[in-house]
Amino acid sequence: MTKILYANDLTACFSLWRKEGMRVLGPVSKAKTSGFGEVQDAHELDLNLVLTARTLKELFFPRTEPMFSYSIGKQKIETGEFLPSENACIIFGARPCDAAGMAIDDELFNWDYRDEYWFRRRDRSVIITIACKESDDFCMCTSLGLAPDSAKGSDVLLRPLASGNGWRVEELTPKGGKALQPIASLLKEGSEAAAPTAEVPLLFDLEACTTWLADPENFESHFWKEISERCIGCGTCTYLCPTCHCFDIQDEGDTYEGIRRKNWDSCSFQLFTMHTSGHNPRATQSARWRQRIMHKFNYFSDKFSVNSCTGCGRCTRECPVDMGVRETLQAISTLQK
Amino acid sequence: MTDTIIAAQNNIYRPAVMKIAATRNEAPGVKTLRLEFQDTADQEKFAAAYRTGMFGLYGIYGEGESTFCVASPETRKDYIECTFRQSGRVTTALAAAEEGDRITFRGPYGNRFPIEEFHGKNLLFIAGGIALPPTRSVIWSCLDQREKFGKITIVYGARTVADLVYKQELDEWAEREDVELVLTVDPGGESPDWKHHVGFVPAILEEAAPAPGNCVAVLCGPPIMIKFTLASLKKLGFEEANVYTTLENRMKCGVGKCGRCNVGSVYVCKEGPVFTAEEVSAMPAADL
Amino acid sequence: MSIQEQYRSRAKELLREGTVKMVIGYGAGTTPLRRRPIFITSPDDADRLVLDAACRTNLAGYLLREGLLADQKSVAVFLTPDGVRTINILAAESQLATEQVIVLGFQIDGENARQLEGTRVADFSGIIAERKKKRKEQPSHEVARKLEQMTSVERFSFWEGEFSRCIKCYACRAACPMCWCRRCVVDNNQPQWVNTSSHTLGNLEWNLVRAFHLAGRCVECGNCSEACPVNIPLHLLNRRMTEEVLTAFDYYPGADEHQEPVLASFRKDDPETFIL
Repeated sequence: MTKILYANDLTACFSLWRKEGMRVLGPVSKAKTSGFGEVQDAHELDLNLVLTARTLKELFFPRTEPMFSYSIGKQKIETGEFLPSENACIIFGARPCDAAGMAIDDELFNWDYRDEYWFRRRDRSVIITIACKESDDFCMCTSLGLAPDSAKGSDVLLRPLASGNGWRVEELTPKGGKALQPIASLLKEGSEAAAPTAEVPLLFDLEACTTWLADPENFESHFWKEISERCIGCGTCTYLCPTCHCFDIQDEGDTYEGIRRKNWDSCSFQLFTMHTSGHNPRATQSARWRQRIMHKFNYFSDKFSVNSCTGCGRCTRECPVDMGVRETLQAISTLQK
Repeated sequence: MTDTIIAAQNNIYRPAVMKIAATRNEAPGVKTLRLEFQDTADQEKFAAAYRTGMFGLYGIYGEGESTFCVASPETRKDYIECTFRQSGRVTTALAAAEEGDRITFRGPYGNRFPIEEFHGKNLLFIAGGIALPPTRSVIWSCLDQREKFGKITIVYGARTVADLVYKQELDEWAEREDVELVLTVDPGGESPDWKHHVGFVPAILEEAAPAPGNCVAVLCGPPIMIKFTLASLKKLGFEEANVYTTLENRMKCGVGKCGRCNVGSVYVCKEGPVFTAEEVSAMPAADL
Repeated sequence: MSIQEQYRSRAKELLREGTVKMVIGYGAGTTPLRRRPIFITSPDDADRLVLDAACRTNLAGYLLREGLLADQKSVAVFLTPDGVRTINILAAESQLATEQVIVLGFQIDGENARQLEGTRVADFSGIIAERKKKRKEQPSHEVARKLEQMTSVERFSFWEGEFSRCIKCYACRAACPMCWCRRCVVDNNQPQWVNTSSHTLGNLEWNLVRAFHLAGRCVECGNCSEACPVNIPLHLLNRRMTEEVLTAFDYYPGADEHQEPVLASFRKDDPETFIL
């Protein structure tokens, strides 16, 4: 026997959570794209999507956010701080790859210095993930050591019932348990079978790839130029990546008052590393693509013992020239050692 | 806007306010600011944390923040000196700031020169152009406790005589008996009354031929100078483990989040900017 | 012989003879429906080329890759008539020399790719003149008509809504063969003309600046809308600008390689109705 949440009760769940002062967010398709948005009613959710076009990270790390306001007077500089203070929220219907991405970035945002902009939102969010029963041509979680029902980064995992009427509920963290309390009356005991999870084929041998990447000999391999020749250097893969976390800090306003903001930035951009002197350590697009791959599968793992890719496949799915992590790692895993 | 303004002490991106106590023109386009904390708590925090080699983010609200080293030594922590060349948006605004103006500071960040490990050793400082400031921080940290070190040699070169920074201090070091100062300017950069060397730093260094035995070298300069000077040091018999340098990657956050300064497995802002030549060799050269 | 076979053997020939050092074309993509730009330098690889109705990307921009044309050698590119127009504009703007470009011309008609005769951009002037005529007669897009009927307030709020999704990845810029500026105006920060943040104002500024900069230069290839990860209908703006210069100046971008850029040239009989 296990707890079951029936789809019919979802809107009632949402009301109960709201009564507790929590907002409810979930995958929504709106205005020609899809992402996470606040919902009132279960019908607003688009739970049939394999994956939203935009990632969960935007809820914790928005594309632009104010950090400080400043106002400069004759005698004093006055500043205010914008720190996230939204109500606690339930994120209903995240996918395992996205949820895993948040756990990966926690490592970085807490690395000796704690980023309050990230953690104030993280701490107040409960991620309720729905295991995938479908995947598409771009999904590759299994190749990254994850699975369509990975628990990483989630507080509650829901397994879709074979009947399609609801989900088996698995509580994963104390935070998840607490979030389930207000809706306890709506969770029914049952033994209905879960639908099989999606079969996501293995696309490459991750270990072979990371071994190849770790070999300094390969850093200047011709491979990098060839694999990235068509890269146009747009930031799409990074902006739609659940783990890419690079940002810029920009002041907007005048000498007297304005706002200092934290804005997404991307290692794909030429100006990202350009020194004021004009020297650019990564002057070519191939060097920048290499950086993205190395950062995900070598540098980040060196530091935090985890690869910074969850196999969501968005980089390939959304690339205007059909590149992505998938092609690169597939190519590496077939290279002669 | 859903965010409200809350004051929090633990915001890692929040800068302290500093007052410009003095300014000094060092060379064309190069300026030094002497800064004092407006808030004593910030001053105490800085004094407790600062060690030579660390850097800061100096800023002006409305323009942004810019990264440079703390050019003052760890033996004098009641103020901060920074020296910069006016080149971008922020440095242009900083250069326009005057005595009494307030700017912002975040830091000190990064690692440091392990000065205790230099005790009892001979020290060789090599700097090019605008890279004397990070070197100068170490130089004064050592000169202020002169008895703890052996022979001190400073090799400093700039493109032209006018481009030499800290001219007063160069005179001071030249006069000191316990410092050997070797000054040079690039060919064509000498003035009629120039009495020192003419030539590039690596060549002048090889001429001066400091002995590598029991000696630590601190080398700061533009990437191209570092490359050739490292080769010269190798020729002179210096081991890479005994050569320290600083990397000057572009930075925004200073605290290992924004990803900009990442090279190889290193985030320069967190694990640098001070590295031995041996550590730099382990980084992907193409990305430096 | 299918058109794909024909073009493969032509590419092979061009490479074998040494007429070109590279052929820029389309190859198979990650899924059966996808095509990707590929760069062929050896005749043996020419069989990787694919040509069918799924080949939609305008490849002309790749010619501006740093150093590619610096050695004066020629490159062959798969181009639709709009791609050829792109080359004409780039030549007129002194970004490349047409002598270095061999055109592998094709056109997509419904489900089929059709061969177009010609080797040099000049060979396509007849086809382009024909397109200009058609473009003049072409009725506005349904959404465009709706937009025209809106009040300026309504229209503004329509675009505000569309741009609110913009994440400032600049994929539109990266995908656009006309965005060849070495340093884009948004990347200049002394002064900071355009806010870099992706908030309402910053997004409006960026997208409008880009639309204006493309007036009289856009060939309506669709690369920008295709690249936009949040599906902003950027082509609607660009089409509107195209219609504007077509009506006001009888100007069709990229008609030939000598055509002066419309907003960078002056004629005594230019209409001045916009001057208040």
